[in-house]
Amino acid sequence: MNTTSIDFQPFVDWDNSPFILFDPTGKILYLNNSAEILFGYVSKKELYDLALTYAPQNFGYKTTTVTLTYDTFNFYAITVGYENEEQLSIRFYHAPRIKNATPIEREKFATTDINLLLEANIALFQTKNSNTLQLLTDPDLPSLKIDQNRFSKLLRKVLDAYRASDSIRIVLKLLVGEHVIIDGKRTPIAQLSIEANGRYSDADGEIRTLAEHCHINCSLGERSIKLDIPLIQ
Amino acid sequence: MELFYTDSEQVRHIIKGLNLTKTLLVSSIIIGEPNTGKKTLASYLFPDAPSVSGEDQDAVETLMEESDELIITDFEKLKNMERLDFDNKRIIATANYIGNQHTIDSLFAFIYHLPSLKERPEDTQFLKQKFLKRACDDLMIDEEIDIDEIPVNLSHNSRTLKRSVYQYLTTRYMGKETIQQAVYHYLMENLGGNNGYKEHLNLYEVPLIKAGLAKFKSQLQLSQVLGINRNTLRKKIHEHDID
Repeated sequence: MNTTSIDFQPFVDWDNSPFILFDPTGKILYLNNSAEILFGYVSKKELYDLALTYAPQNFGYKTTTVTLTYDTFNFYAITVGYENEEQLSIRFYHAPRIKNATPIEREKFATTDINLLLEANIALFQTKNSNTLQLLTDPDLPSLKIDQNRFSKLLRKVLDAYRASDSIRIVLKLLVGEHVIIDGKRTPIAQLSIEANGRYSDADGEIRTLAEHCHINCSLGERSIKLDIPLIQ
Repeated sequence: MELFYTDSEQVRHIIKGLNLTKTLLVSSIIIGEPNTGKKTLASYLFPDAPSVSGEDQDAVETLMEESDELIITDFEKLKNMERLDFDNKRIIATANYIGNQHTIDSLFAFIYHLPSLKERPEDTQFLKQKFLKRACDDLMIDEEIDIDEIPVNLSHNSRTLKRSVYQYLTTRYMGKETIQQAVYHYLMENLGGNNGYKEHLNLYEVPLIKAGLAKFKSQLQLSQVLGINRNTLRKKIHEHDID
């Protein structure tokens, strides 16, 4: 089969996996659309260093299984390769997203003002941590239906990860234009993000489990925690 | 309705948190040493909620079936906490300590730790004033009392604080006859052996020397007031280990 006349670039451009081509000095020669989004969360230098670390010893390509997390991006492997001294390529493989199998228990749901629950949890948190925190919320966020007890436990665990932190910044906002399909319905999403100078990660497992039970997508960073909360009506 | 007073920043946060969740179906627990005001706080914030003690597991389970809002006191005394289902209920529990951290953590959304009175000097002063007023009424004392003179014992929080105030007032206003009566009752209970005189002489000598030293400052002056030799006084101070 003769493939020489086929232009492969659009296929790479639109590939969901980030692909980057560096020159020997670390300058970007090419990047696809997915890599462009990835650069919103990680520096060029970090990815170039990663490519150098996992590059094969001789010309060719090498795939390495490695868990990488950049904000909401989770990768399980990378392929690094070069065919000449001028170009070094790196391609990332997305970790599969596990579909939430937890059934929605509507009988446990109650209409909830998310700001109220957040404020109550902050009051509880302030009995343990007297450092000042910055809070930015959207008072016009619509009420949502949620298991209030379980969601409060989740908020407590999340805030508890910052029990010894300072410069805590909490932001609650509506993710405009983003939706999640729940029970076949398009459901808007509110995002609660907490960031500080550092945090404990001892309860990350529990946070993941509680979030999953509440149908909340969580991303646990080194200093930040983000909860994507579906505003189920 | 009993009021709950506090000047403590930490307790104010607890009240704020509980107030905000008043309308929500969440479970909260207030943990703290005995006599710190947990039950008063719960019934102050949730006056209409029925209250039941954790000592009676069956009563707790029956009330939970009947009511969506419930105060469970002495939660640590429940025999089987895991059997309780707090879904879609507003539960406010109080406990003197956390028995099983894991169970408490999985049952309750809000876990508040009420500080002891030792950690709340502002509240201690307020309670002291409150107990003093009540004690003056009870003991029919009209005189002005210097509150700072009252020594406080906070080992069992408000319980020992209250006792300190009553004890101070009763001893402070005892007449000679009452003192003699008190010593009489004490001796009736404790007198025995074959060295009774020497053993119980400190009942008289210790307060005498302590008050004398506080009043006259120097041992020389006190020996003159007491009409005893300075060396004898020094010997007695040493004997009774008076500072």
